[in-house]
Amino acid sequence: MSEIDRRNFLKLIGVGAGATAAAGCSELPEKLIPYVIQPEEIIPGIAVYYASTCQECSVGCGLHVRTREGRPVKLEGNPDHPINRGSLCARGQASIDRTYHPGRYQSPMQRDSDGALTPVTWDEATRTLAQKLSSAGSKARLLGGPTGPTLGDLIAEFAAAVGAGGNVHWEPFGQESLREATRLVFGVAQRPTFQLADSDYIIDFGSDFLEQGPTPRYAREFAESRDILAHPDGGAHVVSVGPRLSQTIGNVDEWLPANPGTEGILALGIAREALSHSGGSAGEFAALLADFEADVVASKTGVSADVIRRIGQSAAAATSPVALPPGVGLTSRRATATNASVLILNHVLGAIGRNVQIAPLAETPGESNEFRDVVKLIAAMKAGDVSVLLVHSGNPLYSLPADSGFSDALDKVGFVVSFASSPNETSEKADLILPDNTPLESWGDSAPVAGVRSIVQPTLRPLYDTQSLGDTLLQTARAMGGAVASRLPEGSFRTILESAWAGVDWRKALARGGDFANAPVTSVQLSPHAAQIEVREPELEGTGEYTLFAHPSPLLGDGSGADLPWLQETPDPVSSLCWQSWAEISRNTAEKLGVDSGDVLQVTTPYGKLEVPAYPRGGIRDDVIAIATGQGHTVGHFASLENDGRPGEARGVNVLSILPALTDESGGLAYLTTRAEVTSVGRHQRLALTQYTDNKRGRQLGDAISLTALAKAGDGAVAHFEGGEEQAGEHGGGQGEAHEILRPYDATDDSTAESLYRWGMTIDLDRCDGCAACVVACSIENNITVVGEEGLMRRRQMTWLRIERYVGEGWQELRTGRPSRIDHEELGKVDVRHSPMMCQHCGAAPCEPVCPVIATYHADDGLNAMTYNRCIGTRYCANNCPYKVRRYNWFDYSIENLPDPMRLRLNPDVTVRGQGVMEKCTYCVQRVAGARQLAKDEGRPIADGEARTACQQTCPTNAITFGNLKDEKAEVVQKARNNDARSYHALHVLNTRPATTYLKKVIRDGEGA
Amino acid sequence: MTPPPPAEPVAAMVRPASRYRDSKVNRDLLGVMKGTSIGYWALLGLCVLMVHVAGGIWVYQVYKGLGIAGYAHPVFWGAYIVTFVFWVGIAHAGTLISAILFLFRAKWRNSINRSAEAMTVFAVLTAAQFLGIHVGRMWKSYFILPYPNQRGLWINFKSPLMWDTFAISTYATISIVFLFIGLIPDLAIARDRARGFRKGLYAALSLGWQGTTNQWKAHNRTVLHLSGLATPLVLSVHSVVSWDFAVAIVPGWHSTIFAPYFVAGAIFSGFAMVLTVMIPVRRIFRLEAYITDYHFENMSRFILLTSIIVGYAYLAEFWTAWYSGVEAEQSAFWLRAFGPYWISSWVMIIFNGVLPHILWFKKVRTHVPTLFVLSVCINIGMWFERYVIIISGLSREYVPAVWGTFTISWAELGIVGGSFAFFSMFFLIFLKLFPIIAIAEVKEIAIHERAHAEEGAH
Repeated sequence: MSEIDRRNFLKLIGVGAGATAAAGCSELPEKLIPYVIQPEEIIPGIAVYYASTCQECSVGCGLHVRTREGRPVKLEGNPDHPINRGSLCARGQASIDRTYHPGRYQSPMQRDSDGALTPVTWDEATRTLAQKLSSAGSKARLLGGPTGPTLGDLIAEFAAAVGAGGNVHWEPFGQESLREATRLVFGVAQRPTFQLADSDYIIDFGSDFLEQGPTPRYAREFAESRDILAHPDGGAHVVSVGPRLSQTIGNVDEWLPANPGTEGILALGIAREALSHSGGSAGEFAALLADFEADVVASKTGVSADVIRRIGQSAAAATSPVALPPGVGLTSRRATATNASVLILNHVLGAIGRNVQIAPLAETPGESNEFRDVVKLIAAMKAGDVSVLLVHSGNPLYSLPADSGFSDALDKVGFVVSFASSPNETSEKADLILPDNTPLESWGDSAPVAGVRSIVQPTLRPLYDTQSLGDTLLQTARAMGGAVASRLPEGSFRTILESAWAGVDWRKALARGGDFANAPVTSVQLSPHAAQIEVREPELEGTGEYTLFAHPSPLLGDGSGADLPWLQETPDPVSSLCWQSWAEISRNTAEKLGVDSGDVLQVTTPYGKLEVPAYPRGGIRDDVIAIATGQGHTVGHFASLENDGRPGEARGVNVLSILPALTDESGGLAYLTTRAEVTSVGRHQRLALTQYTDNKRGRQLGDAISLTALAKAGDGAVAHFEGGEEQAGEHGGGQGEAHEILRPYDATDDSTAESLYRWGMTIDLDRCDGCAACVVACSIENNITVVGEEGLMRRRQMTWLRIERYVGEGWQELRTGRPSRIDHEELGKVDVRHSPMMCQHCGAAPCEPVCPVIATYHADDGLNAMTYNRCIGTRYCANNCPYKVRRYNWFDYSIENLPDPMRLRLNPDVTVRGQGVMEKCTYCVQRVAGARQLAKDEGRPIADGEARTACQQTCPTNAITFGNLKDEKAEVVQKARNNDARSYHALHVLNTRPATTYLKKVIRDGEGA
Repeated sequence: MTPPPPAEPVAAMVRPASRYRDSKVNRDLLGVMKGTSIGYWALLGLCVLMVHVAGGIWVYQVYKGLGIAGYAHPVFWGAYIVTFVFWVGIAHAGTLISAILFLFRAKWRNSINRSAEAMTVFAVLTAAQFLGIHVGRMWKSYFILPYPNQRGLWINFKSPLMWDTFAISTYATISIVFLFIGLIPDLAIARDRARGFRKGLYAALSLGWQGTTNQWKAHNRTVLHLSGLATPLVLSVHSVVSWDFAVAIVPGWHSTIFAPYFVAGAIFSGFAMVLTVMIPVRRIFRLEAYITDYHFENMSRFILLTSIIVGYAYLAEFWTAWYSGVEAEQSAFWLRAFGPYWISSWVMIIFNGVLPHILWFKKVRTHVPTLFVLSVCINIGMWFERYVIIISGLSREYVPAVWGTFTISWAELGIVGGSFAFFSMFFLIFLKLFPIIAIAEVKEIAIHERAHAEEGAH
């Protein structure tokens, strides 16, 4: 080596200095790299929205995916879409985390000889699969859930091309019995669509229509049918049947806690009464209905004969009555007959063709959706007739009852291929994993109801080395070559999709989200065999004392939602529990068993047993134990206890593990099939309960007013827009409630005189059904983090918006000791109020004066603002907030609870809060600021409706209105003005001058006047 | 009431006796500072260890977040604020004895004032720690100071926490000055008899005290003026602390009774703490000649008086809640007595409002072991009083849907325990470095007594 010259010396010095400096830094400096060539449609700081379709369930809501700098940050409903019209449910909102899920498969993987998964390339993986399929021939099978028409066609074609022995389509909560019943009664194997909006009398036989959906549509129609301004008489009277007071039943007028499984008997009993009142002829059903005299029905169902007669009479008198068939939890072994009975009732009430539409939608081949096909498949697997099983769009190992034997059968299959995008129970058993893109990364389409076709379009490039299912199948077929390759279409899945949409202006459809035509209304005729159904009580397995009611969780659904952190963190609308499983039992049962809230029960059926904490409540039959589906996963970052540092352990229990694989008459899986023995195991489990009393103690929260009081009230009550003298407002609806002097005030005074704005909100409790979509929307929009089960147990939830659930006006009972659930529910009585609670942006905010460092203060436009950087965390503001809406960062949640790549989801418009600062609802100030900038550019004030909060945007029932209180014409002002007699301010006595006005829920007296 | 005559002839106490170079007072009281037993070191070692453990927990808490404490929405203030208020309360006896009793010329204060003042300073120091422990971002806690800055940010003088900051810092300043001024003559005595590092320490701290008439004149005047300044502080500090609660709209907090109620409670707990500390000190160091049962009896009387005030306040709170007709207020108090914190509430009511009534009996007032047990009970009761007020109030507020229950965590137990060790550590060090009883003042009393005795003889 030559001598060191000056240049080399300087080089060495430079390198040395650089190395020293680099070693001194713990983190590499982050570089902000500007676009070299800026994509045309991306302006940094401006959101771009893409229309797509939600793939979280089969309802098929339209989406507007909000993207920032090329990354989806929030899902919103597509206002043009006929199903959801701009709203989105909690599950849809939370589904954005599928893409940013920390557990995602990052490349194709194959199980090696040691049983460990090793990454392989796509070429290798598809070649392996091609080989296996070629050798398997007809011993290959496909098993999958709903996919959308184009992909479904492709899968079917692929199955045919490779000569697979079967392509089984199975969706856990597919409600096959309703389809079969429709075929029996009307000769069309199709699920009917029920229209609620124009109805004035709804008899719901346990459909849980607000939860099980189609959620946003039913919620919207339910609210419309009961809009108090359009229907001063209260609108549609809704009677619900069901063993427990579910979220849905909490919103209706009348609850009939009938014997579970006897809904069909009740429907026919009501049909008979309706006929006898209307004087119509029973026609071909005369013989069938003869057996369903009210007293007989009463003895079988447990609903009194008088009630049956009254309902029959009212339904007959109603102009547009409709009956809804039972939901998944009530599918007994006689579910087809039950559904048929409800359809017959609809027929008797004249609802067919008016409120009930049966559109013959072309059946997609391969989408027969029958559990009996699954049973056959399992038998074939057990017999060793299946050597290759391709599992897509579903998690059968979890969602099939353990009794079905799928687990053992799966072990007998030589080669299992999974297309899951993140791990689940089934994919963990797979030999080859070919990770699918998430819906936000995929092309696809959906045709949920007749006339509606909508497009799924990708909004970001796949985060990892994943490939869409369609493309993987195409690649595999090409790898197989020959006849298989030539049988499948050319091009990528995207081009196939485009050609499937030939005849529609593709770009226009893409921009709009799909092609929305009016549904063709077809008339259906009664089938000649319609009356040949056998309606009787279902047989239940086992000898236990309690009927096991396995009902779908409103948030987790069939369990597919369990791996989404926000669905776990959002409190169950009824129990307010999160991240856990619980068994609902009645207070009497709890007393009998000697258990209290959280005491662990052993639930034994002939098919297995499980241990689950008790949740005693008033709103459930004494002979029923209800356990929601959805929990009990052993795989999944959030679904199992992996996130809590205990991978492989189940979070909660899977009630399907103790259910038999029994079917109804149609061959669909039945869920209401067994009795259970329940014993206390003498152990206590701490519950992650977010609300332990539903007793509002007469305070001005979740208020209600009776129809009669509302009619009398006139203009007596107070909206906060009116100044003037003191008025005595009637605080109607309650028993023994004191009259209070309400001081009206002018909320517009609470912003500076120069400000054009005073932001405020009007929340209509009569429209709020407690679905919690707003909670998830708010959390995603505002970068709120989940805190997990442990955090929830310690009541450290961070949600800025919560739904409070109160029952009635009670105030007296105060229990001591352990915080067991205090509830006011009564069997057969509905008085549930859901009250969304967030920062009220008080004019005289108690939080503001107590902050020593002015971190929280009153902004010019009336907002109660929060400066995170100034906050030192004395938490005095939170103590002094009477609404208790302030949340505190007890830990560094934004670091600890956002594992990679979840941080990519964060909304760049909202500060991520660090450890030790206080936070709360800002009325989505970033959206207000965005609207202000736009308005400023155009030299005009912000128009009404331009700034919409995330909760308002997603609300299916339009219960939340946000706007400028200084604008007389604004909807937020008009709504409160038009409902003057219903308006109140939460905890008005404290004179905090809130900017949020609540409109009282209307308790529709008895018969609905 | 006349104090009992001193056990020994006064002359023997204040003048050097033939066998000794020094007077008995000097020997007895300076003797406390001499020599350290194994027990002393063990106790001090335990305290230092506990302080370190608490410090470690605190560092972990700063690193990890306040979540390691037991806070549960809606209880945003927990055991730290409880203990903060507790120590501020303890800090009251010192100034009361030094300032108010001085102004009232209550002579019996002389043998307990030094220890009470020292306790005041240490209690305020301990309390001050909790402000830093309690805030979520202690590294930003300097925001609370009104310092000029480029960002133009200012503090909120409307906030009771701001008042607290000023009240506590003022009180700490004046307590330290008070303690130090009182120490000067005694430090000079110690200086004259000390060797080694102590000599230098006392020489520096005694500020050249010679005991001249002029110096005494200046000293007495300073003490008088300081007493005048400190007297309102006795009332103001805990009033301000009470306003942290009374100004808030939390049911159970929002009450005009709070200032006098808290001040009485503070004096009550302060005297109890003086008893708890001084009874063992007297016994260990054989100071019966200086701290007599008479002193204890007088303190007992104070305790009885303040207990009656506190007990009345408890009843008055319930009555106000009932009379207010405000449902939230009523249920807050109902739940205080019968809700999830009923044990704490009844500990508070029985230990503070009922038990001290045994002090109506002179036999109890002069029975030292009973007094000791009672004083410990009162300390416990007063800690629980703050626990009940703060935590039961917060956990049952206006919105029943978010009622929540607080459970103390290991971190809080460690830090609260550490605070007692912190206080004790300072006191133990003080015991061996500074005269625990004001030597000069005891002598003054003794000489006065002799003068009285001689007058009586003539």
